Amino acid sequence: MKLLWAVSALLLSCLRANASTDPNIITYPEEVSNQTSAVLSCNLTEPSFHIKGSHWTHNGKIIEGSKSDVATPYIVHRLDRITYTSSGKYECVFLTDPEVKKTIEVKTLPHVVAYKHSEHGNEKDKGVLVCLSSGYPLPTDWTWFKDGGQTPIINGTTDKYEIKSTPNKTTLVIENLSIEEDIGDYVCSGTNELGTTSDRIHLRVRSRLAALWPFLGIVAEVIILVTIIFIYEKRRKPDEITDGAAPLKTNSNANHKDKNVRQRNSN
Amino acid sequence: MTNNKPKVEGRSDEAEGPDGGWGWVLVGALFVSTSLVFGLMRSLGIFFVEFVQYFEESAQAISWISSTGLAAQQFFSPLGAALCNAYDARVVVMTGGVLAGLGLILASQATCLVHLYLTMGLISGLGWGLIFTPMVATVMAHFTRRRTLVLGLGFSSIGLSSFAFNPLFQLLVEMYAWRGALLILGGLSLNIVACGALIHPQRHSKAPAKVDSASRSSCASVLNRVSSYLELSLLLERPYITYTLAVTLLNVGYFVPYFHLVAHSRQAGFSEYQAAFVMSAAGVTDIFGRVVSGWFSDLRHFRLIHLLTMWTTLAGVFIMLLPVSSLSGSYTALIGISLLYGFCSGALTSLVFAVVPKIVGVERMMGGLGLLQLIESGAGLLGTPMSGLLKDITGNYIASFMVAGSFVILSTLTMATLPHYFSCTDPLPLQRRSLDDKDEGLHSELKLMNSVSSDKNHKGVNDLTDEVTKYPQDCVG
Repeated sequence: MKLLWAVSALLLSCLRANASTDPNIITYPEEVSNQTSAVLSCNLTEPSFHIKGSHWTHNGKIIEGSKSDVATPYIVHRLDRITYTSSGKYECVFLTDPEVKKTIEVKTLPHVVAYKHSEHGNEKDKGVLVCLSSGYPLPTDWTWFKDGGQTPIINGTTDKYEIKSTPNKTTLVIENLSIEEDIGDYVCSGTNELGTTSDRIHLRVRSRLAALWPFLGIVAEVIILVTIIFIYEKRRKPDEITDGAAPLKTNSNANHKDKNVRQRNSN
Repeated sequence: MTNNKPKVEGRSDEAEGPDGGWGWVLVGALFVSTSLVFGLMRSLGIFFVEFVQYFEESAQAISWISSTGLAAQQFFSPLGAALCNAYDARVVVMTGGVLAGLGLILASQATCLVHLYLTMGLISGLGWGLIFTPMVATVMAHFTRRRTLVLGLGFSSIGLSSFAFNPLFQLLVEMYAWRGALLILGGLSLNIVACGALIHPQRHSKAPAKVDSASRSSCASVLNRVSSYLELSLLLERPYITYTLAVTLLNVGYFVPYFHLVAHSRQAGFSEYQAAFVMSAAGVTDIFGRVVSGWFSDLRHFRLIHLLTMWTTLAGVFIMLLPVSSLSGSYTALIGISLLYGFCSGALTSLVFAVVPKIVGVERMMGGLGLLQLIESGAGLLGTPMSGLLKDITGNYIASFMVAGSFVILSTLTMATLPHYFSCTDPLPLQRRSLDDKDEGLHSELKLMNSVSSDKNHKGVNDLTDEVTKYPQDCVG
């Protein structure tokens, strides 16, 4: 019996010794999900090493205001308003030798925003709708809906729609735009483990001939102008031959007719 | 009899430009056509965003479109000049307008990037080359006393139209998509045809009449004619070569601030809006600089070449000061130097072309301008990549600006080596050297001087030469 006690005590102390060779950081909370504010804290238990200081990093970049030289094993970082910009991976770093750190993930709903809220395309041409996302974690799934309908647009079922998605960007390409069918609102939805957010894009399809009318108008204006200029010149021609311009060519003033005719300076 | 002093202004090229009347109509035409050529070229950036998204190409591939357009415009300038010499300036400009419009109209139907290079780049560029040099030469021929002023007025359209075109193009792209917008731009470019129609048709071709005396369309005589249309003989003459070299050096450094100033300001720590505002401010003073320098040059207090040298030196100095002002962190200094730089660079633009007839004479001005554009185009293509390379090597823009400024100063020094630079009067323009028409050329020049002076009665040609040399122009007035 005593032997059993001794062995178990030895085992326990060995375990405890093993545990104490790696300093343990207790984080609270372990993970932040969908909260509006939080206080991240790290507690370095069993500080067998000398703490020279500490700081926090956000997505790998050191947070300037969090650097500290105080040798305390308990540090906090406040997040007063959690938005998609403040989401990501936070690490508390203790400047021991070697450094120890632990990560706390701050997760929010994805931030989905359309690249352009109003897109346009030409009839029979292709239309490109783009949605971007930022925040943490990035969406794992993207879906597109037309006009707020319930049936999503599936990639590959028809030639008309093609969806290309990466975690931070999704593109919907609509081939062969038609004015009757394709005008309207399109909704892009990004889903991550916390939920879904979406944004909407309004697609306008211009008829191929829409620009033709202003174009024809301008061409008509040019033709009218040129005609007026030519007519004006024909009517002027019998009256006066020379315009007295300095010749880019030789002999273009009236002197070629009569060498002795003097020409007054028109100034 | 009574007034023997000829009204000719110095022993220079001043053939009689009537300086008024229809000339002003042509200035308006120059204004419109220049804005539709260069103003349009500068505002094509709006389309590039659309192209990058639609064709899914890199920004660099897209930017080749405008480089091709600009290069084509400058490359085909001598062609435009030669065609004007051979045929009619009016026909050439109208054809250029049609080509420019056609290029844009075809571009609206493009399905791949190569189409855009060929249409917007090559065809429109060819059209622009046929428009710009002939229009400038025609306007310069119509004016003597106010030549630089009208050039300044005409070129101020570039700055004004880039202001107006940027939001306009954005609106067109929003409403009609880039295809429709290009189509409408093609239509707008057709207005250049109307501008060209305003030029009076020429009654005499510049074809040297000596060809008939040769009366054989042999290879040699055709080459002779072609080279005389292109004014290739200018390439053998030292003043022209010197001047072209100077302008080429100027072009190496001239464009660098336009490309790199915004990036440099951002790097120095200013915000996006502050950096963009610096460019806009420089653009505004650019417009003022063109007009004011044109007006001031025509007051005739100084020789044009001296004024050009002064503006060029100042521009070079300010380019070199630009990095200093932004590094010191003072936004006011940056704005101030940029304003001054904008003013000087606009001022020298008006003069660069106006000096050409002083050197080569009004007759050969057309070809001279064309060749000048061609040769200076190489410099523009060289300058910006070089400054980009310097930035990549050194990590900031200081070296680029310094080198650019030094090229501009170098061009000033080159200009100082022009013959008769330090004299107070403009020297006689170059005479065409070909043996055939040497006498004809001289004869006609003197006939022009004959016609300018008021009361000469049956004076012989030889008497006139004596008259002219007796009254040299003095420095003032």
